[in-house]
Amino acid sequence: MRSKKLYIIVLLLIIIFLPSCQQQSPLNSNRVVVAISSDVQSLNPLFVMNYDEGNISELLYASLVQHDWDFQKGEMDTEPMLAKSWEWNKDSSSITLNLRKDVKWSDGKPFTANDVVFSFDVYSDPQVQSRLYGTFKHFYLDSASHIILKKTFIVENPYKLVINFKKGSIPTFYDIDFPIVPRHIFESIDRKNLITAEKEMKPVTDGPFSLAEWDRNQSIILKPNKQSFSYNPNGISELIFKIVPDYNSQINQLKKGEIDLVQDIKADDIHSLKENSKLDVLSLKGRDYDYIGWNNIDPKIYNTTRKLVPNKLFGDPIVRSALTYAINRNEILKEFLDNHGEIAIGPVAPIFKNAYDTSLIFRSYNPQKAKDLLASRGWKDINNTGKLSKNGKEFSFTLYYPSGNPRRKFAASIIQNNLRAIGINIKTEKMEPEVFFQKMYNREFDAWMAGWSVPIPIDLKTYWYSNLDDTPMNIYGYNDKNVDLLLDKIENEKSTVRSDNNYKKIQQLMYHDEPVTFLYWIDNIIAYNKRIKNMSNSPLGPLHHCWDWSIKK
Amino acid sequence: MNKEITKTIIKRILSSILVLFLLITFLFFLLRVSPGTPYQKFVSPELSPKLSSIVKKSFNLDSPLPNQYKSFIINLVQGDFGISYTYRIPVIEVIKNYLPFTLIFSLISFVIQLSLGFLLALISVKKINGFLDSTISKTSLFFYSIPSFVIGVFLILIFSDWLNIFPSSGLNSFDFNSYTLLGKLADYTTHMILPLITLSLGGIIIFYKYLRDNLVEVYNKSFVENLRMHGFSEKYITRKHVIPNAISPLISVVGVELGLLFGGTLITEVIFSLPGMGRLTVNAILSRDYPLVIGCTFVVGTLIIITNLAADIIKAKLDKRLLKGILN
Repeated sequence: MRSKKLYIIVLLLIIIFLPSCQQQSPLNSNRVVVAISSDVQSLNPLFVMNYDEGNISELLYASLVQHDWDFQKGEMDTEPMLAKSWEWNKDSSSITLNLRKDVKWSDGKPFTANDVVFSFDVYSDPQVQSRLYGTFKHFYLDSASHIILKKTFIVENPYKLVINFKKGSIPTFYDIDFPIVPRHIFESIDRKNLITAEKEMKPVTDGPFSLAEWDRNQSIILKPNKQSFSYNPNGISELIFKIVPDYNSQINQLKKGEIDLVQDIKADDIHSLKENSKLDVLSLKGRDYDYIGWNNIDPKIYNTTRKLVPNKLFGDPIVRSALTYAINRNEILKEFLDNHGEIAIGPVAPIFKNAYDTSLIFRSYNPQKAKDLLASRGWKDINNTGKLSKNGKEFSFTLYYPSGNPRRKFAASIIQNNLRAIGINIKTEKMEPEVFFQKMYNREFDAWMAGWSVPIPIDLKTYWYSNLDDTPMNIYGYNDKNVDLLLDKIENEKSTVRSDNNYKKIQQLMYHDEPVTFLYWIDNIIAYNKRIKNMSNSPLGPLHHCWDWSIKK
Repeated sequence: MNKEITKTIIKRILSSILVLFLLITFLFFLLRVSPGTPYQKFVSPELSPKLSSIVKKSFNLDSPLPNQYKSFIINLVQGDFGISYTYRIPVIEVIKNYLPFTLIFSLISFVIQLSLGFLLALISVKKINGFLDSTISKTSLFFYSIPSFVIGVFLILIFSDWLNIFPSSGLNSFDFNSYTLLGKLADYTTHMILPLITLSLGGIIIFYKYLRDNLVEVYNKSFVENLRMHGFSEKYITRKHVIPNAISPLISVVGVELGLLFGGTLITEVIFSLPGMGRLTVNAILSRDYPLVIGCTFVVGTLIIITNLAADIIKAKLDKRLLKGILN
């Protein structure tokens, strides 16, 4: 009886473990695995919203042109993609595009100018509400911001297309740089339903890669598109995006060789990753920054009456500058970021070499100067209690920040200590991100800590223009008429040199106004397996041009 | 007798439906009054307020709450939970992608918990306070006091990093589709062993403790002494009398435990990157995906109610048998 039981147990164990002993097919050495922390929700280029979605959909669907980062000049270069050449007319009000004739959609249908016209049409259609809806500012639009096709496009032949821009506008290549979609697939779906039609649509693509498999919440497997003009026969055979929600698991798997590339590496891990002989770490100056928002205006009065009344605590540029002097940004940079960052002075990142003003010197940590500046504005320690007050009112406020970000949590504790040391009664409170951002966009805070990323090309008007009704992102209530004038000038400026000068002037004005305390630019750090050749990290991310990757044999 | 049972069951089902209805109604209003908006991330910063208000309007969240509730209920009765804001496909479709994994994973873990717990308890009570009993008791306490995320990470460290026997994450390999049936089974097995240990360890110990104490209690009852006096063998007494008596109070615990497992096994899912209901629900809450939160709650709530109902029915059946046995 006993031996019978034993047999059954042994048999069960064999059934379970035997198959697992016979290891599966040999490791596919030409495959590259990239870690992403959550599954993408859409690969339809009309609706991709976040970084990973954008990256993957741009590998699947080609654009008319592509951009690349020129490290020397610190700006973008435009290169051909679906358009093999182009010609701007004299006043840059129209562009003639010569399209490639060798591009085919993955179902065998040829790519033509009709796909391009259709894409502009569908991206700008109010019924579709694509991610780009409302952003075609340089085109002829109807009252619902839909591009007027007749006025805009002249299809000379299937591979030659003229685009006429709105009179007086200054278009750039960015106006035509987005993934083109296949007309023959998309036009069969009711436009109102496009947003929910992903499941019914076959991903018919023409980019450097095609979608092989999408295993929800597990992995997305791309294969090089052999028909693509960018196809590299010696390149990688598969690009896999593996969904690993836990950062530490990503690092473990990178070290183990299960993953080849992890982005957004924390400074703490750099040392141990560099010790691993199989891995390489690339650090790059970033365009993301953290800041402390001081509401320049009184939020309650603005939200009830729409009147701009200077904030009682932070309405004064001298007070804001004093607060910047009081915060030891270097300590945060050193302790938390291990110096993988740079103190920020204004809203233009140092990577934009031509537009960045190098003449400005950051306000270094100087508590005494902070106290003096505050005293000059009436904030003094009158009762010798160590606490600052003015007209009988104490300098006291709460600094809000979103939860789930260890860097901001660390920074909040340093900022609290720094400001308390000069007599300011500051409390810090973290909030669940959705709640925090809702309140931030509703301008409910007096002081908060958050971050922005500077878009490429630089866009300051969306964030700093003083007309608050039209500029919902100017959540600090910053208003400076001179900055407005310069922002308007940049928008209508053809010469990049003059634009760059205007950006510098804006930084000088803002340096004086100190609308917020810019904390630091955060380096963009990636770690990857050395077996990947041609890996590079640019402000556009390491996946840009990943079709050039190959594997060291 | 049978009629009475059917009546009770129908009563229970009706009250369960009411509970479920109240639950999602409560959730519907709670989600809408709680702070945070689902549409902020869909509004591009460059959009003018006029255009962004069009985007916000498309979520249909600006109509009065009673109207929203009315259309929600009408859709619900027709089996339509709406469209997930983040996935942009019907909620049911989203859940379909995640539920099978959770069901299978939980059931396997449940079987492991119950059978190993039971086995350990039987070994333990063979000689109460003996060497095996005290060893199992003490080690089980040790493992029970370690949180599952620590166990998971340790298992990965040992079996995946050091020994390199099992993969550290995911449900299957990238080459899964090219495998034979046996290969596929093997692939699942190797991927599932560490998550199953992580998830089941706590449950095994709960069942073990509960069963062991019950068994000891029943062994000390006078009717067992009586049977022994009549010369029945120890094996017969254990099988026919002690085990059925000890199991019956366990069944309600079993129902609750299985329900909890269906609710999603968040920590295990995150550590091992598995596509389960736990991660889906939490992400839906964090991104304020109202229809998806309600859909997940409804499905999980239904499963919990069904398992509890089933546990109660089984208990009633067992009790009846015991009753008859005693009468005879």
